[in-house]
Amino acid sequence: MFRNNYDNDSVTFSPQGRIFQVEYALEAIKQGSVAVGLVSKTHAVLVALKRNAEELGSYQKKIIGIDTHLGVALAGLAPDARVLSNFMRQQSMSSRLLYNRPVPVARVVNAIADKAQVNTQHYGRRPYGVGLLVAGVDETGPHLWEFQPSGMVLEYRGASIGARSQSARTYLERTYEEFAESSREELVLHGLKALRDSLAQDKELTIANTSVAVVGVGGEKFRLYDGDEVGEWLEKLGNVQSSRGGRGAEEEEEAQAAPEETMDTTE
Amino acid sequence: MNHLPEVWGRPRNDVYGAYDHSYLQGSHPMQHTQQPIVTGTSVIALKFNGGVVIAADNLASYGSLARFTDVERLKQVGTHTVVGAGGDISDMQHLYEKLLDSLIIKEEYQNDGHSLRASHIYRYLSRVLYHRRCKFDPLWNTILVAGWDDGKPFLASADLLGTTFSSPALATGFGAHLAVPLLRRVCPDENAVKSLTKEKAIETIEECMKVLFYRDARSLNKYSMAVITGEGVEQVPLSGEGKEKVHVEWKKDITLENQSWKFAEGIRGYGAQTV
Amino acid sequence: MTSIGTGYDLSNSVFSPDGRNFQVEYATKAVENGGTAIGIRCKDGVVLAVEKLIGSKLLVPGSNKRIAMVDRHVGLACSGLIPDARHFTSRARSEAASWRKFYHTPIPVSSLADRMGGYAQAYTLYSSVRPFGVTAIIAGMDEEGGPGLWMVEPSGVGWGYFGAATGRGRQAAKAELEKLPLPNITVKEAVKHAARIIYFAHDDNSKDKDFELEMTWVRHEKLATAESGEGIVKGWGKHEEVPKELVAEAEKLAKESMVEGGDDEEMEVEE
Repeated sequence: MFRNNYDNDSVTFSPQGRIFQVEYALEAIKQGSVAVGLVSKTHAVLVALKRNAEELGSYQKKIIGIDTHLGVALAGLAPDARVLSNFMRQQSMSSRLLYNRPVPVARVVNAIADKAQVNTQHYGRRPYGVGLLVAGVDETGPHLWEFQPSGMVLEYRGASIGARSQSARTYLERTYEEFAESSREELVLHGLKALRDSLAQDKELTIANTSVAVVGVGGEKFRLYDGDEVGEWLEKLGNVQSSRGGRGAEEEEEAQAAPEETMDTTE
Repeated sequence: MNHLPEVWGRPRNDVYGAYDHSYLQGSHPMQHTQQPIVTGTSVIALKFNGGVVIAADNLASYGSLARFTDVERLKQVGTHTVVGAGGDISDMQHLYEKLLDSLIIKEEYQNDGHSLRASHIYRYLSRVLYHRRCKFDPLWNTILVAGWDDGKPFLASADLLGTTFSSPALATGFGAHLAVPLLRRVCPDENAVKSLTKEKAIETIEECMKVLFYRDARSLNKYSMAVITGEGVEQVPLSGEGKEKVHVEWKKDITLENQSWKFAEGIRGYGAQTV
Repeated sequence: MTSIGTGYDLSNSVFSPDGRNFQVEYATKAVENGGTAIGIRCKDGVVLAVEKLIGSKLLVPGSNKRIAMVDRHVGLACSGLIPDARHFTSRARSEAASWRKFYHTPIPVSSLADRMGGYAQAYTLYSSVRPFGVTAIIAGMDEEGGPGLWMVEPSGVGWGYFGAATGRGRQAAKAELEKLPLPNITVKEAVKHAARIIYFAHDDNSKDKDFELEMTWVRHEKLATAESGEGIVKGWGKHEEVPKELVAEAEKLAKESMVEGGDDEEMEVEE
C-alpha cells in the first residue's frame, strides 16, 4: 500500500488534498467479511457472511438490531460497530421517549455520520474502523444507507461492503431494477445470491455462517435469522457453492482472521 | 484531554450530557418558580367529525388588572398542530418561541419527508413540563395540543405538574369547570365525535367563550379560534406519496356577540346590597 | 503539481518561509476535486445549484441531498469533502439558532457568512486540527440587505458575490456567470441559467461521469408567487427546493443548449 509523510494522523492533508488515515480506515472494512443490503417497496433486507477464527469457535455476529424498525450489518472492526450501534440505540430510544415516534432512518444515520466526522478532524483521534449498512423502515418507506468511517453516508437501493464485495455489487448492479417490486422472499434470495458471488473459492453458504435480517412496512418488526432458521432460505436458494474457480482476477487471500484483529498492511 | 477534577471518573459527555458547573459554587441560589405573574386564562377545545376546534381569549392579566388585551395564546406548530396555553405568559412565550420554534426549524432541516405532528409535539411538551416539575422549577402552564394525526383528530392536555390526559372535549383553568360540561353535552365521549359536525362544534365553542366571559372574572370578550380539518389517509402509503391533507383555519379578533347580562340583576349579597 | 512543502507542509498552522500555510492549500485541493456548486444573486432572491456526481447507479435518485437549509431563510451548498460539509452546516445552524435566541430575530446573511468565515479560520490556527476540506456557498435573504450570496473557503476567506462557483467546474462556471447581467435578473430566469451552467461545467470536466442536478432558491416569503418590480426585494426569505417542473424545464433547455455545441466559445480547462 502507500507509505508517505502525510499518513500519520487525521489532521494532515496530503498535497493532493487526501486524508490518508481516513482512507486507511476504509481498508479495515475490506478486511471484514462481506455484508449485503437491499430494499424493495415493502422491505429492507440485510444478509451477511459470518466468520470464525477457528473451527471450534463461535462466529462473529454481523447483524445488530437497533430498534423494532431498524438494524445494521457491519464489516470491519466489530468493537467500533458495537460503540456505534449502542449510540444508535440511544438515539432511537430518545426519539421514542421524547417524541413518541420511531426515529426516522435518515436521522439516526446522520447522527453517526456527524459523530464519525469529528474523529477525522481532531488530533489524537482515529476514524472508526467499521462500515455499516443501515436498513430500516419509517413513515416514508424502507431505506438502506451505507455508512463509512469518513462520515460519508449515502442512501442506496442495494449495497455491499467487506471482502470481495465487488462481486456482490456487480450482481446488485445487474439486478437492482427488479428489487422494487420483489416480494419478501425474492428480495432475500437476491441478497443471498449477491452474497454467494462474494464467497472465496471452495467456500459455501451454510446455516452456521449465514445471517439474514428482514424488516418491512406495516409494522413488520426487524427480525434476525441465524442458524437453523436460515436453512429454509438456503434450501430455496439451492446452490450454496462459491462460483469462484481457480485463480480469480482478485488476489484477495482467504482471510480467516476475525475482523477485530489488527489490519495487515500487505505490500 | 481534560484532566481537571470536574471530569475525574466522569462518563462521556455525549452520553450523559456536559458537566453542570452550577454545582461547583457553594451558596448558589436555587431558582424555584413560586407563582405565575402575568397570566392567561382558559383554553377550550372540542373534537368533531373531521377535525378539532380550539379557542382562547386575547387577555394577559396582571393579577386583577386586565393588562394586555392583544395577546395571541394559540400557536400553530408545523402544519398539523395548534397549541393553546393558559397560565404564566412568560413561560408560554418561552415554550412557543424558544422551544417550539426551534423544534420545528430543526425538523425542517432534515428535509427527509418527515414532519412533527400533534402526537409528537404533545409528547415533547409533556416531557419538558414533567422534567421542569422534577427540578422544582415548573413552566407554570396548562397546555392543550390540538391537531390532526394518523387520520384522526387529536386533542390532549398537559400541565405544570406533568399530568397528561386526552378527551374529545377539553379545557384549562376555569374552562375545565364551566366549559367542559357544556362541551360534553354535545360530545359526551369518543363515539360521539363521528356525529358532531364542524358547524355545531364551532357554535358550541362560541357559546362556551360567552359563558366564560360572564363568569370568569379574568377573561376578555375578544378571542381567537383555530379550526383544524384533515382529509385523513389513515395509513400513509408505502412510498410516502399521497400524504394527509391538513388545513388550519384561523379566526382572529372575534368579539362576543348576543350577550345577555340580565342575570346580573338577580345577583344578591355583594357589596352594599343587602336584599 | 504544487511544490511539496519540504517539511513545512506536514502540520497545520505552520508557516512556510514564504508565508504559506500548506495544509490550507492542500485542503483547497480537496475542494477542487469535488462536484461543481454555483450561486446566483438576483433582484428578488438567490439560486443555488449543485452538480451531484453519481458514484453508483445503486444510489437512490433524489436522495443524498447536498444543499442544506440553515434557519428558514438561508441555503448552504458545499463542494469538497462531504462529511466536512455536514460539520460546517451543523455549526452554521448552531450560529443561526444562538443568534435567534440572543437577538430575537433571524440571523442576517452577512453575519452568518462572517461567523462561518471565522469558524473556518479557527481550524487553520492549531496543529491539533485540520482545515475544512470544503468551500461553502451561503445564499440567503434578509430584511436589511435583501438577497445575499457569500462564499467561504477553507482558509476562512469569505467574500460577497453576485455570482459564485466552486468545485471542479468552477473555471467554466465562472466564465459563464460573468456573462450574466447580475443582479438584474429574476430567480425564475436564474434557474434556467444555473441549470445550463452546471451542465456546461459538467460537460467540460466530468463528461464520463453521471450526475444529478440539485437546485434550491431563496425568495421572499410573502411575495413567493408575485412578480417582483424594479428594485431589489428586501425582507426575510424562505429557502426551498426549486419546484420539480421548473427544474425539469430548465434541464431540458440546458440539454438542448449543450447539443447546439455549448454557449459561445468553449473553455478549455487544464488542471
